[in-house]
Amino acid sequence: MSIEARVHHAFRGFTLDVKFESAGPVVGVFGASGSGKTTLLNCVAGLIKPRDAKIAVNTRVVCNRPGGTWTPPERRKLAIVTQDPLLFPHLSTRANLTYAPGAADALESDSGWKIIDVLRLKPLLQRNPGNLSGGEKQRVALGRALLSKPEMLLLDEPTSALDAELAREVLALLLEVKRSLSVAMLFVTHKAGELMALADDCIVLSEGKLVAQGPPVQVLSKPRAIGVANLVGVDNLLRLNVVRHDEEGGVTLLDLGGHDLAAPLCAAEAGQQVSVGLYADEIMLCLESPAGLSARNALPCRVTQIDAMDHEVLVNLRIGATDLLARITPGAAAELGLDKDTQAVAVIKTAACHLLG
Amino acid sequence: MLTEPEIEVVRLSALVAGWSVAVSIVPGILLGWLLARWRSPLRALLQGTVMLPLVLPPVVTGFLLLALVGRSGPLGSAWEAVTGGRIAYTTGACVIAAAVVGFPLMVEGIRLSVLGVDPKLEMVSRSLGRGRLSTFLRVTLPLALPGVIGGAVLSFARALGEFGATIVLAGNIEGETRTIPVAVYTLMNSTDGEAGVMRLVAVSVAMSLAALLAAGWLARRQRAKAGR
Repeated sequence: MSIEARVHHAFRGFTLDVKFESAGPVVGVFGASGSGKTTLLNCVAGLIKPRDAKIAVNTRVVCNRPGGTWTPPERRKLAIVTQDPLLFPHLSTRANLTYAPGAADALESDSGWKIIDVLRLKPLLQRNPGNLSGGEKQRVALGRALLSKPEMLLLDEPTSALDAELAREVLALLLEVKRSLSVAMLFVTHKAGELMALADDCIVLSEGKLVAQGPPVQVLSKPRAIGVANLVGVDNLLRLNVVRHDEEGGVTLLDLGGHDLAAPLCAAEAGQQVSVGLYADEIMLCLESPAGLSARNALPCRVTQIDAMDHEVLVNLRIGATDLLARITPGAAAELGLDKDTQAVAVIKTAACHLLG
Repeated sequence: MLTEPEIEVVRLSALVAGWSVAVSIVPGILLGWLLARWRSPLRALLQGTVMLPLVLPPVVTGFLLLALVGRSGPLGSAWEAVTGGRIAYTTGACVIAAAVVGFPLMVEGIRLSVLGVDPKLEMVSRSLGRGRLSTFLRVTLPLALPGVIGGAVLSFARALGEFGATIVLAGNIEGETRTIPVAVYTLMNSTDGEAGVMRLVAVSVAMSLAALLAAGWLARRQRAKAGR
Protein backbone atom coordinates (compact mmCIF):
# COMPACT_ATOMS: atom_id res chain seq x y z
CA MET A 1 0.00 0.00 0.00
CA SER A 2 1.30 3.42 -0.80
CA ILE A 3 0.06 6.93 -1.27
CA GLU A 4 1.81 9.80 -2.93
CA ALA A 5 0.34 13.26 -2.98
CA ARG A 6 1.27 16.75 -3.99
CA VAL A 7 -1.63 19.16 -3.60
CA HIS A 8 -1.82 22.88 -4.06
CA HIS A 9 -5.34 24.17 -3.65
CA ALA A 10 -6.52 27.65 -2.71
CA PHE A 11 -10.08 28.69 -1.93
CA ARG A 12 -11.67 31.41 0.19
CA GLY A 13 -8.38 32.73 1.52
CA PHE A 14 -7.11 29.32 2.63
CA THR A 15 -4.27 27.57 0.86
CA LEU A 16 -3.46 23.90 1.18
CA ASP A 17 0.07 23.21 0.05
CA VAL A 18 1.21 19.69 0.87
CA LYS A 19 3.58 17.12 -0.55
CA PHE A 20 4.20 13.70 0.98
CA GLU A 21 4.49 10.02 0.25
CA SER A 22 3.93 7.17 2.60
CA ALA A 23 3.91 3.40 2.63
CA GLY A 24 1.29 3.29 5.41
CA PRO A 25 -0.54 0.98 5.63
CA VAL A 26 -2.36 3.33 7.98
CA VAL A 27 -1.41 6.94 7.37
CA GLY A 28 -2.53 9.44 9.99
CA VAL A 29 -3.28 13.06 9.11
CA PHE A 30 -2.96 15.11 12.27
CA GLY A 31 -3.63 18.77 12.91
CA ALA A 32 -5.92 21.33 14.50
CA SER A 33 -9.29 22.19 12.96
CA GLY A 34 -8.74 24.49 10.00
CA SER A 35 -5.31 22.99 9.28
CA GLY A 36 -6.52 21.50 6.00
CA LYS A 37 -6.84 17.83 7.00
CA THR A 38 -10.34 17.36 5.62
CA THR A 39 -9.56 19.34 2.47
CA LEU A 40 -6.62 17.01 1.83
CA LEU A 41 -8.80 13.96 2.39
CA ASN A 42 -11.49 15.30 0.03
CA CYS A 43 -8.85 15.94 -2.63
CA VAL A 44 -7.71 12.31 -2.32
CA ALA A 45 -11.34 11.14 -2.47
CA GLY A 46 -11.98 13.24 -5.57
CA LEU A 47 -14.74 15.28 -3.90
CA ILE A 48 -12.70 18.46 -4.38
CA LYS A 49 -11.00 19.24 -7.66
CA PRO A 50 -7.69 20.84 -6.71
CA ARG A 51 -6.19 23.25 -9.19
CA ASP A 52 -2.70 21.88 -9.05
CA ALA A 53 -2.16 18.38 -7.74
CA LYS A 54 -0.81 14.93 -8.36
CA ILE A 55 -2.24 12.09 -6.29
CA ALA A 56 -1.38 8.41 -6.68
CA VAL A 57 -2.71 5.50 -4.65
CA ASN A 58 -0.71 2.28 -5.02
CA THR A 59 1.11 3.97 -7.94
CA ARG A 60 -2.27 4.43 -9.71
CA VAL A 61 -2.52 8.11 -10.58
CA VAL A 62 -6.05 9.31 -9.78
CA CYS A 63 -5.40 13.03 -10.20
CA ASN A 64 -2.82 14.92 -12.16
CA ARG A 65 -3.84 18.49 -12.67
CA PRO A 66 -3.77 20.80 -14.46
CA GLY A 67 -4.07 19.00 -17.74
CA GLY A 68 -3.65 15.35 -16.76
CA THR A 69 -5.67 12.49 -15.36
CA TRP A 70 -8.85 13.07 -13.41
CA THR A 71 -10.51 9.98 -12.02
CA PRO A 72 -14.03 10.74 -10.71
CA PRO A 73 -14.64 9.66 -7.08
CA GLU A 74 -16.77 6.66 -8.07
CA ARG A 75 -13.85 5.06 -9.93
CA ARG A 76 -11.15 5.68 -7.31
CA LYS A 77 -12.04 2.76 -5.04
CA LEU A 78 -11.46 4.95 -2.01
CA ALA A 79 -14.44 4.78 0.34
CA ILE A 80 -14.96 7.67 2.73
CA VAL A 81 -16.29 7.53 6.29
CA THR A 82 -16.92 10.88 7.95
CA GLN A 83 -17.74 11.87 11.51
CA ASP A 84 -21.40 11.95 10.52
CA PRO A 85 -22.23 8.34 9.50
CA LEU A 86 -24.36 9.62 6.56
CA LEU A 87 -26.46 6.47 6.24
CA PHE A 88 -29.05 6.68 3.48
CA PRO A 89 -32.24 7.31 5.46
CA HIS A 90 -34.58 5.83 2.85
CA LEU A 91 -32.76 2.48 2.79
CA SER A 92 -32.71 -0.35 5.34
CA THR A 93 -29.50 -1.14 7.18
CA ARG A 94 -28.95 -4.10 4.88
CA ALA A 95 -29.54 -1.97 1.77
CA ASN A 96 -27.08 0.58 3.13
CA LEU A 97 -24.46 -2.13 3.58
CA THR A 98 -25.00 -3.47 0.07
CA TYR A 99 -25.17 -0.04 -1.54
CA ALA A 100 -21.86 -0.13 -3.42
CA PRO A 101 -21.69 -2.00 -6.75
CA GLY A 102 -20.84 -5.63 -5.97
CA ALA A 103 -21.41 -5.19 -2.25
CA ALA A 104 -24.42 -7.53 -2.25
CA ASP A 105 -22.23 -10.35 -3.54
CA ALA A 106 -19.44 -9.34 -1.19
CA LEU A 107 -21.83 -9.59 1.73
CA GLU A 108 -22.54 -13.24 0.88
CA SER A 109 -18.84 -14.10 0.60
CA ASP A 110 -16.52 -15.21 3.41
CA SER A 111 -14.71 -11.89 3.44
CA GLY A 112 -18.06 -10.11 3.63
CA TRP A 113 -19.16 -12.15 6.64
CA LYS A 114 -15.82 -11.43 8.26
CA ILE A 115 -16.55 -7.70 7.95
CA ILE A 116 -20.02 -8.23 9.45
CA ASP A 117 -18.42 -10.28 12.20
CA VAL A 118 -15.64 -7.83 13.08
CA LEU A 119 -18.05 -4.88 13.15
CA ARG A 120 -20.75 -6.94 14.96
CA LEU A 121 -23.33 -5.89 12.37
CA LYS A 122 -25.48 -9.02 12.31
CA PRO A 123 -27.99 -7.88 14.96
CA LEU A 124 -28.36 -4.55 13.15
CA LEU A 125 -29.19 -5.95 9.70
CA GLN A 126 -32.96 -6.00 10.12
CA ARG A 127 -33.21 -2.63 11.84
CA ASN A 128 -34.03 0.71 10.28
CA PRO A 129 -31.04 3.11 10.26
CA GLY A 130 -33.26 5.73 11.91
CA ASN A 131 -33.47 3.56 15.04
CA LEU A 132 -29.73 2.94 15.43
CA SER A 133 -27.59 4.69 18.04
CA GLY A 134 -24.66 6.91 17.03
CA GLY A 135 -22.08 4.18 17.57
CA GLU A 136 -24.17 1.60 15.71
CA LYS A 137 -24.64 3.98 12.78
CA GLN A 138 -20.90 4.50 12.57
CA ARG A 139 -20.37 0.72 12.57
CA VAL A 140 -22.81 0.41 9.65
CA ALA A 141 -21.04 3.26 7.83
CA LEU A 142 -17.71 1.45 8.28
CA GLY A 143 -19.22 -1.82 7.07
CA ARG A 144 -20.78 -0.12 4.06
CA ALA A 145 -17.40 1.39 3.14
CA LEU A 146 -15.51 -1.89 3.66
CA LEU A 147 -18.03 -3.90 1.60
CA SER A 148 -17.28 -1.64 -1.37
CA LYS A 149 -13.82 -3.33 -1.34
CA PRO A 150 -11.86 -0.08 -1.33
CA GLU A 151 -8.13 -0.02 -1.94
CA MET A 152 -7.95 2.44 0.88
CA LEU A 153 -10.40 3.60 3.51
CA LEU A 154 -10.59 7.37 3.95
CA LEU A 155 -11.55 8.22 7.52
CA ASP A 156 -12.45 11.79 8.41
CA GLU A 157 -12.52 11.99 12.21
CA PRO A 158 -14.81 8.95 12.46
CA THR A 159 -15.06 9.18 16.27
CA SER A 160 -15.52 12.94 16.68
CA ALA A 161 -19.29 12.94 16.89
CA LEU A 162 -19.34 10.20 19.53
CA ASP A 163 -18.98 10.44 23.30
CA ALA A 164 -15.71 9.25 24.85
CA GLU A 165 -16.84 5.69 25.51
CA LEU A 166 -18.27 5.10 22.02
CA ALA A 167 -15.23 6.79 20.47
CA ARG A 168 -13.02 4.22 22.22
CA GLU A 169 -15.26 1.43 20.96
CA VAL A 170 -15.08 2.64 17.36
CA LEU A 171 -11.30 3.07 17.66
CA ALA A 172 -11.02 -0.50 18.93
CA LEU A 173 -13.06 -1.64 15.90
CA LEU A 174 -10.75 0.29 13.56
CA LEU A 175 -7.77 -1.43 15.17
CA GLU A 176 -9.48 -4.77 14.67
CA VAL A 177 -10.26 -3.86 11.05
CA LYS A 178 -6.61 -2.98 10.53
CA ARG A 179 -5.39 -6.16 12.24
CA SER A 180 -7.74 -8.82 10.87
CA LEU A 181 -8.84 -7.33 7.53
CA SER A 182 -5.54 -5.57 6.75
CA VAL A 183 -7.21 -2.59 5.12
CA ALA A 184 -5.12 0.46 4.26
CA MET A 185 -6.39 3.74 5.66
CA LEU A 186 -5.88 7.46 5.42
CA PHE A 187 -6.99 8.56 8.86
CA VAL A 188 -7.73 12.19 9.69
CA THR A 189 -7.84 12.99 13.39
CA HIS A 190 -7.08 15.65 15.96
CA LYS A 191 -6.82 13.13 18.80
CA ALA A 192 -3.22 12.21 19.59
CA GLY A 193 -4.20 8.99 21.36
CA GLU A 194 -6.05 7.69 18.26
CA LEU A 195 -3.15 8.61 16.04
CA MET A 196 -0.66 6.77 18.26
CA ALA A 197 -2.88 3.73 18.47
CA LEU A 198 -3.82 3.35 14.82
CA ALA A 199 -1.38 5.05 12.46
CA ASP A 200 1.88 3.54 11.22
CA ASP A 201 3.02 6.76 9.67
CA CYS A 202 1.61 10.24 10.03
CA ILE A 203 1.77 13.69 8.59
CA VAL A 204 1.12 16.79 10.67
CA LEU A 205 -0.61 19.78 9.05
CA SER A 206 -0.64 23.32 10.31
CA GLU A 207 -2.36 26.13 8.44
CA GLY A 208 -2.38 24.17 5.22
CA LYS A 209 1.26 23.19 5.35
CA LEU A 210 3.00 19.94 6.23
CA VAL A 211 5.11 20.50 9.34
CA ALA A 212 6.22 16.97 10.18
CA GLN A 213 6.08 13.38 8.99
CA GLY A 214 7.09 10.10 10.59
CA PRO A 215 5.87 7.39 12.93
CA PRO A 216 3.38 9.03 15.33
CA VAL A 217 5.36 8.18 18.45
CA GLN A 218 8.35 10.00 16.99
CA VAL A 219 6.47 12.95 15.53
CA LEU A 220 4.40 13.55 18.65
CA SER A 221 7.19 13.08 21.15
CA LYS A 222 8.07 16.74 20.74
CA PRO A 223 4.70 18.35 20.08
CA ARG A 224 5.99 21.80 21.01
CA ALA A 225 8.51 21.79 18.17
CA ILE A 226 5.80 21.41 15.52
CA GLY A 227 3.21 23.64 17.15
CA VAL A 228 0.74 20.95 18.15
CA ALA A 229 1.32 21.02 21.92
CA ASN A 230 -2.22 22.33 22.47
CA LEU A 231 -3.63 19.53 20.40
CA VAL A 232 -1.59 16.78 21.96
CA GLY A 233 -2.42 18.34 25.32
CA VAL A 234 0.79 17.18 26.96
CA ASP A 235 4.40 18.15 26.41
CA ASN A 236 5.70 14.60 26.35
CA LEU A 237 3.84 11.82 24.62
CA LEU A 238 5.38 8.37 24.95
CA ARG A 239 4.45 4.94 23.70
CA LEU A 240 5.75 2.51 26.33
CA ASN A 241 5.71 -1.25 26.86
CA VAL A 242 3.95 -2.65 29.92
CA VAL A 243 6.51 -4.58 32.03
CA ARG A 244 4.22 -5.85 34.76
CA HIS A 245 1.47 -4.81 37.15
CA ASP A 246 2.08 -4.27 40.86
CA GLU A 247 -1.48 -4.38 42.19
CA GLU A 248 -0.42 -4.14 45.81
CA GLY A 249 1.64 -1.05 45.12
CA GLY A 250 -1.16 0.29 42.95
CA VAL A 251 1.03 0.84 39.91
CA THR A 252 1.74 -0.54 36.46
CA LEU A 253 5.41 -0.60 35.58
CA LEU A 254 6.29 0.63 32.09
CA ASP A 255 9.62 0.43 30.33
CA LEU A 256 11.10 3.91 29.92
CA GLY A 257 14.54 3.78 28.39
CA GLY A 258 15.50 0.68 30.35
CA HIS A 259 14.07 1.97 33.62
CA ASP A 260 10.76 1.15 35.23
CA LEU A 261 8.24 3.98 35.16
CA ALA A 262 5.52 3.51 37.76
CA ALA A 263 2.24 4.64 36.19
CA PRO A 264 -1.33 4.28 37.51
CA LEU A 265 -2.68 0.72 37.25
CA CYS A 266 -4.08 -0.03 33.82
CA ALA A 267 -5.78 -2.94 32.10
CA ALA A 268 -3.23 -3.49 29.31
CA GLU A 269 -1.39 -6.81 29.40
CA ALA A 270 2.35 -7.17 29.87
CA GLY A 271 4.14 -6.64 26.56
CA GLN A 272 1.40 -4.39 25.20
CA GLN A 273 2.07 -0.75 24.42
CA VAL A 274 0.25 2.13 26.07
CA SER A 275 0.33 5.86 25.42
CA VAL A 276 1.50 8.01 28.33
CA GLY A 277 1.42 11.79 28.51
CA LEU A 278 3.70 13.78 30.82
CA TYR A 279 3.41 17.53 31.40
CA ALA A 280 6.76 19.32 31.32
CA ASP A 281 6.01 21.15 34.56
CA GLU A 282 5.16 17.95 36.41
CA ILE A 283 8.71 16.65 36.05
CA MET A 284 10.96 17.60 38.96
CA LEU A 285 14.76 17.69 38.64
CA CYS A 286 17.36 16.82 41.32
CA LEU A 287 21.13 16.55 41.13
CA GLU A 288 21.23 13.43 43.30
CA SER A 289 18.83 10.60 43.90
CA PRO A 290 16.57 11.87 46.72
CA ALA A 291 15.76 9.73 49.76
CA GLY A 292 12.43 9.27 51.58
CA LEU A 293 10.38 10.20 48.55
CA SER A 294 6.67 9.65 48.00
CA ALA A 295 7.05 10.01 44.25
CA ARG A 296 7.53 6.54 42.77
CA ASN A 297 9.88 7.51 39.98
CA ALA A 298 13.42 8.85 40.29
CA LEU A 299 15.03 8.23 36.91
CA PRO A 300 18.68 9.04 36.16
CA CYS A 301 18.91 11.26 33.08
CA ARG A 302 21.23 13.49 31.11
CA VAL A 303 20.55 17.09 30.08
CA THR A 304 20.81 17.38 26.29
CA GLN A 305 19.72 20.97 25.76
CA ILE A 306 18.55 23.99 27.71
CA ASP A 307 16.27 26.68 26.26
CA ALA A 308 15.81 29.75 28.43
CA MET A 309 12.52 31.51 27.71
CA ASP A 310 11.16 34.66 29.38
CA HIS A 311 10.20 33.29 32.77
CA GLU A 312 10.83 29.62 32.32
CA VAL A 313 13.55 27.24 31.34
CA LEU A 314 12.87 24.26 29.10
CA VAL A 315 15.22 21.39 29.87
CA ASN A 316 15.57 18.57 27.36
CA LEU A 317 16.40 15.30 29.10
CA ARG A 318 17.42 11.90 27.82
CA ILE A 319 16.63 8.70 29.70
CA GLY A 320 18.13 5.76 27.86
CA ALA A 321 17.05 6.53 24.30
CA THR A 322 13.92 8.47 25.29
CA ASP A 323 13.74 12.27 25.24
CA LEU A 324 11.68 14.21 27.76
CA LEU A 325 10.96 17.89 28.20
CA ALA A 326 10.89 19.44 31.68
CA ARG A 327 9.97 23.01 32.58
CA ILE A 328 11.55 24.74 35.60
CA THR A 329 12.04 28.32 36.78
CA PRO A 330 15.17 30.29 35.83
CA GLY A 331 16.05 30.45 39.56
CA ALA A 332 15.97 26.68 39.92
CA ALA A 333 18.06 26.23 36.79
CA ALA A 334 20.69 28.62 38.14
CA GLU A 335 20.76 27.02 41.60
CA LEU A 336 21.18 23.52 40.20
CA GLY A 337 23.80 24.78 37.77
CA LEU A 338 22.20 22.83 34.95
CA ASP A 339 24.13 22.72 31.73
CA LYS A 340 24.37 20.51 28.69
CA ASP A 341 25.46 16.99 29.69
CA THR A 342 24.70 17.52 33.38
CA GLN A 343 23.72 14.19 34.98
CA ALA A 344 20.50 14.63 36.93
CA VAL A 345 17.55 12.70 38.32
CA ALA A 346 14.02 13.23 36.99
CA VAL A 347 11.39 12.79 39.70
CA ILE A 348 7.91 11.96 38.43
CA LYS A 349 4.83 11.16 40.54
CA THR A 350 2.78 8.19 39.44
CA ALA A 351 -0.28 10.43 39.16
CA ALA A 352 1.61 12.65 36.72
CA CYS A 353 1.83 9.75 34.25
CA HIS A 354 -1.37 10.28 32.29
CA LEU A 355 -2.51 7.14 30.52
CA LEU A 356 -4.00 8.05 27.16
CA GLY A 357 -5.21 4.59 26.15
CA MET B 1 -76.22 14.23 -12.44
CA LEU B 2 -73.92 15.37 -15.22
CA THR B 3 -75.20 15.46 -18.80
CA GLU B 4 -73.41 13.65 -21.61
CA PRO B 5 -71.56 16.78 -22.88
CA GLU B 6 -70.60 17.66 -19.30
CA ILE B 7 -69.11 14.20 -18.74
CA GLU B 8 -67.15 14.71 -21.93
CA VAL B 9 -65.88 18.07 -20.59
CA VAL B 10 -64.74 16.51 -17.29
CA ARG B 11 -63.10 13.60 -19.09
CA LEU B 12 -61.24 16.00 -21.40
CA SER B 13 -60.10 18.13 -18.46
CA ALA B 14 -58.69 15.14 -16.58
CA LEU B 15 -57.02 13.90 -19.76
CA VAL B 16 -55.43 17.27 -20.47
CA ALA B 17 -54.23 17.73 -16.88
CA GLY B 18 -52.86 14.18 -16.77
CA TRP B 19 -50.97 14.60 -20.03
CA SER B 20 -49.63 17.98 -18.99
CA VAL B 21 -48.09 16.38 -15.88
CA ALA B 22 -46.84 13.40 -17.89
CA VAL B 23 -44.98 15.50 -20.43
CA SER B 24 -43.52 17.92 -17.88
CA ILE B 25 -42.45 15.56 -15.07
CA VAL B 26 -39.09 14.52 -16.57
CA PRO B 27 -38.01 18.01 -17.64
CA GLY B 28 -39.41 19.26 -14.32
CA ILE B 29 -37.19 16.89 -12.33
CA LEU B 30 -34.13 17.78 -14.41
CA LEU B 31 -34.74 21.53 -14.07
CA GLY B 32 -35.60 21.29 -10.38
CA TRP B 33 -32.38 19.40 -9.75
CA LEU B 34 -30.38 21.81 -11.91
CA LEU B 35 -31.79 24.86 -10.13
CA ALA B 36 -31.00 23.31 -6.75
CA ARG B 37 -27.46 22.11 -7.48
CA TRP B 38 -26.09 24.21 -10.35
CA ARG B 39 -23.49 26.73 -9.18
CA SER B 40 -23.54 29.38 -11.89
CA PRO B 41 -24.55 33.03 -12.24
CA LEU B 42 -26.82 31.90 -15.07
CA ARG B 43 -28.87 29.89 -12.58
CA ALA B 44 -30.86 32.95 -11.43
CA LEU B 45 -31.70 33.83 -15.03
CA LEU B 46 -32.82 30.29 -15.75
CA GLN B 47 -34.92 30.21 -12.59
CA GLY B 48 -36.55 33.53 -13.54
CA THR B 49 -37.42 32.22 -16.98
CA VAL B 50 -38.94 29.03 -15.58
CA MET B 51 -40.98 30.99 -13.05
CA LEU B 52 -42.27 33.51 -15.62
CA PRO B 53 -45.59 31.76 -16.42
CA LEU B 54 -46.45 31.94 -12.71
CA VAL B 55 -46.52 35.75 -12.74
CA LEU B 56 -47.44 36.52 -16.37
CA PRO B 57 -51.17 36.95 -17.07
CA PRO B 58 -52.18 33.54 -18.53
CA VAL B 59 -53.62 35.32 -21.56
CA VAL B 60 -50.16 36.78 -22.27
CA THR B 61 -48.59 33.31 -21.86
CA GLY B 62 -51.19 32.02 -24.32
CA PHE B 63 -50.37 34.78 -26.76
CA LEU B 64 -46.64 34.05 -26.57
CA LEU B 65 -47.27 30.34 -27.04
CA LEU B 66 -49.49 31.05 -30.01
CA ALA B 67 -46.72 33.12 -31.55
CA LEU B 68 -44.47 30.09 -31.13
CA VAL B 69 -46.70 27.16 -32.12
CA GLY B 70 -49.39 28.92 -34.17
CA ARG B 71 -49.55 28.35 -37.96
CA SER B 72 -47.14 31.19 -38.70
CA GLY B 73 -44.96 30.61 -35.63
CA PRO B 74 -41.58 28.89 -36.04
CA LEU B 75 -42.55 25.67 -34.24
CA GLY B 76 -46.07 25.60 -35.64
CA SER B 77 -44.99 25.99 -39.27
CA ALA B 78 -42.19 23.42 -38.84
CA TRP B 79 -44.71 20.97 -37.34
CA GLU B 80 -47.10 21.55 -40.25
CA ALA B 81 -44.29 21.05 -42.79
CA VAL B 82 -43.36 17.70 -41.23
CA THR B 83 -46.76 16.25 -40.24
CA GLY B 84 -49.22 18.30 -42.26
CA GLY B 85 -51.23 18.96 -39.09
CA ARG B 86 -51.45 21.92 -36.78
CA ILE B 87 -50.86 22.39 -33.07
CA ALA B 88 -53.01 25.37 -32.17
CA TYR B 89 -56.72 24.74 -31.52
CA THR B 90 -56.24 21.03 -30.76
CA THR B 91 -56.31 18.98 -27.55
CA GLY B 92 -52.50 19.05 -27.80
CA ALA B 93 -52.61 22.84 -27.52
CA CYS B 94 -54.64 22.46 -24.30
CA VAL B 95 -51.93 20.15 -22.94
CA ILE B 96 -49.17 22.61 -23.91
CA ALA B 97 -50.97 25.55 -22.30
CA ALA B 98 -51.70 23.60 -19.10
CA ALA B 99 -48.16 22.17 -18.90
CA VAL B 100 -46.47 25.56 -19.35
CA VAL B 101 -48.64 27.30 -16.79
CA GLY B 102 -48.30 24.44 -14.26
CA PHE B 103 -44.57 23.97 -14.86
CA PRO B 104 -43.26 26.59 -12.36
CA LEU B 105 -45.24 24.97 -9.51
CA MET B 106 -43.80 21.58 -10.34
CA VAL B 107 -40.21 22.80 -10.71
CA GLU B 108 -40.32 24.83 -7.52
CA GLY B 109 -41.64 21.87 -5.50
CA ILE B 110 -38.89 19.63 -6.86
CA ARG B 111 -36.19 22.29 -6.44
CA LEU B 112 -37.05 22.80 -2.77
CA SER B 113 -37.05 19.10 -2.00
CA VAL B 114 -33.72 18.53 -3.80
CA LEU B 115 -32.29 21.40 -1.73
CA GLY B 116 -33.38 19.45 1.34
CA VAL B 117 -31.23 16.45 0.37
CA ASP B 118 -27.82 16.59 2.11
CA PRO B 119 -25.17 16.87 -0.65
CA LYS B 120 -22.85 14.87 1.62
CA LEU B 121 -25.08 11.83 1.06
CA GLU B 122 -24.44 12.23 -2.66
CA MET B 123 -20.69 12.53 -2.01
CA VAL B 124 -20.67 9.33 0.05
CA SER B 125 -22.57 7.58 -2.71
CA ARG B 126 -19.96 8.65 -5.27
CA SER B 127 -17.09 7.51 -3.08
CA LEU B 128 -18.82 4.15 -2.71
CA GLY B 129 -18.59 3.70 -6.46
CA ARG B 130 -21.88 5.05 -7.78
CA GLY B 131 -21.64 7.58 -10.62
CA ARG B 132 -23.57 10.83 -10.97
CA LEU B 133 -26.67 9.37 -12.63
CA SER B 134 -26.80 6.31 -10.39
CA THR B 135 -26.41 8.54 -7.32
CA PHE B 136 -29.24 10.74 -8.56
CA LEU B 137 -31.56 7.80 -9.15
CA ARG B 138 -30.66 5.93 -5.94
CA VAL B 139 -30.24 8.76 -3.43
CA THR B 140 -31.34 12.21 -4.59
CA LEU B 141 -34.58 11.28 -6.36
CA PRO B 142 -35.96 8.89 -3.70
CA LEU B 143 -35.20 11.41 -0.95
CA ALA B 144 -36.77 14.24 -2.97
CA LEU B 145 -39.81 12.13 -3.92
CA PRO B 146 -42.30 13.81 -1.55
CA GLY B 147 -41.48 17.12 -3.25
CA VAL B 148 -41.73 15.58 -6.69
CA ILE B 149 -45.16 14.18 -5.87
CA GLY B 150 -46.24 17.46 -4.32
CA GLY B 151 -45.03 19.46 -7.32
CA ALA B 152 -46.72 17.09 -9.77
CA VAL B 153 -50.06 17.25 -7.96
CA LEU B 154 -49.95 21.04 -7.67
CA SER B 155 -49.28 21.35 -11.37
CA PHE B 156 -52.08 18.84 -12.07
CA ALA B 157 -54.49 20.93 -10.03
CA ARG B 158 -53.29 24.09 -11.74
CA ALA B 159 -53.77 22.42 -15.15
CA LEU B 160 -57.38 21.53 -14.23
CA GLY B 161 -58.10 25.20 -13.66
CA GLU B 162 -56.18 26.58 -16.62
CA PHE B 163 -58.31 29.05 -18.64
CA GLY B 164 -56.55 32.14 -20.02
CA ALA B 165 -53.73 30.54 -21.98
CA THR B 166 -55.99 27.70 -23.08
CA ILE B 167 -58.69 29.92 -24.58
CA VAL B 168 -56.05 31.88 -26.56
CA LEU B 169 -54.01 28.89 -27.73
CA ALA B 170 -56.69 26.20 -28.05
CA GLY B 171 -59.95 28.05 -28.38
CA ASN B 172 -63.30 26.62 -27.36
CA ILE B 173 -64.05 23.56 -29.47
CA GLU B 174 -66.54 21.12 -28.00
CA GLY B 175 -65.03 17.66 -27.43
CA GLU B 176 -61.59 18.85 -28.38
CA THR B 177 -60.55 21.88 -26.33
CA ARG B 178 -63.55 22.65 -24.13
CA THR B 179 -62.18 21.88 -20.64
CA ILE B 180 -64.07 22.58 -17.38
CA PRO B 181 -63.13 26.28 -17.05
CA VAL B 182 -63.85 26.97 -20.71
CA ALA B 183 -67.17 25.13 -20.45
CA VAL B 184 -68.12 27.08 -17.31
CA TYR B 185 -67.34 30.34 -19.09
CA THR B 186 -69.42 29.26 -22.09
CA LEU B 187 -72.37 28.17 -19.94
CA MET B 188 -72.28 31.42 -17.99
CA ASN B 189 -72.77 33.31 -21.24
CA SER B 190 -75.73 31.20 -22.31
CA THR B 191 -79.27 31.90 -21.04
CA ASP B 192 -80.10 28.54 -19.42
CA GLY B 193 -76.64 27.42 -18.31
CA GLU B 194 -76.88 28.15 -14.58
CA ALA B 195 -77.53 24.55 -13.46
CA GLY B 196 -74.72 23.26 -15.66
CA VAL B 197 -72.35 25.88 -14.20
CA MET B 198 -73.16 24.74 -10.67
CA ARG B 199 -72.57 21.07 -11.53
CA LEU B 200 -69.22 21.75 -13.24
CA VAL B 201 -68.10 24.06 -10.43
CA ALA B 202 -68.87 21.32 -7.89
CA VAL B 203 -66.91 18.77 -9.94
CA SER B 204 -64.02 21.23 -10.30
CA VAL B 205 -63.81 21.88 -6.56
CA ALA B 206 -64.05 18.16 -5.77
CA MET B 207 -61.33 17.17 -8.23
CA SER B 208 -58.91 19.88 -7.07
CA LEU B 209 -59.49 19.09 -3.40
CA ALA B 210 -59.05 15.36 -4.03
CA ALA B 211 -55.76 16.02 -5.82
CA LEU B 212 -54.44 18.15 -2.95
CA LEU B 213 -55.49 15.62 -0.30
CA ALA B 214 -53.92 12.79 -2.27
CA ALA B 215 -50.68 14.77 -2.55
CA GLY B 216 -50.55 15.35 1.19
CA TRP B 217 -51.21 11.68 1.92
CA LEU B 218 -48.57 10.47 -0.54
CA ALA B 219 -45.96 12.88 0.81
CA ARG B 220 -46.67 11.81 4.40
CA ARG B 221 -46.38 8.15 3.42
CA GLN B 222 -43.09 8.81 1.64
CA ARG B 223 -41.65 10.63 4.64
CA ALA B 224 -42.68 7.85 6.98
CA LYS B 225 -41.05 5.34 4.66
CA ALA B 226 -37.85 7.39 4.67
CA GLY B 227 -37.88 7.26 8.46
CA ARG B 228 -37.90 10.99 8.94
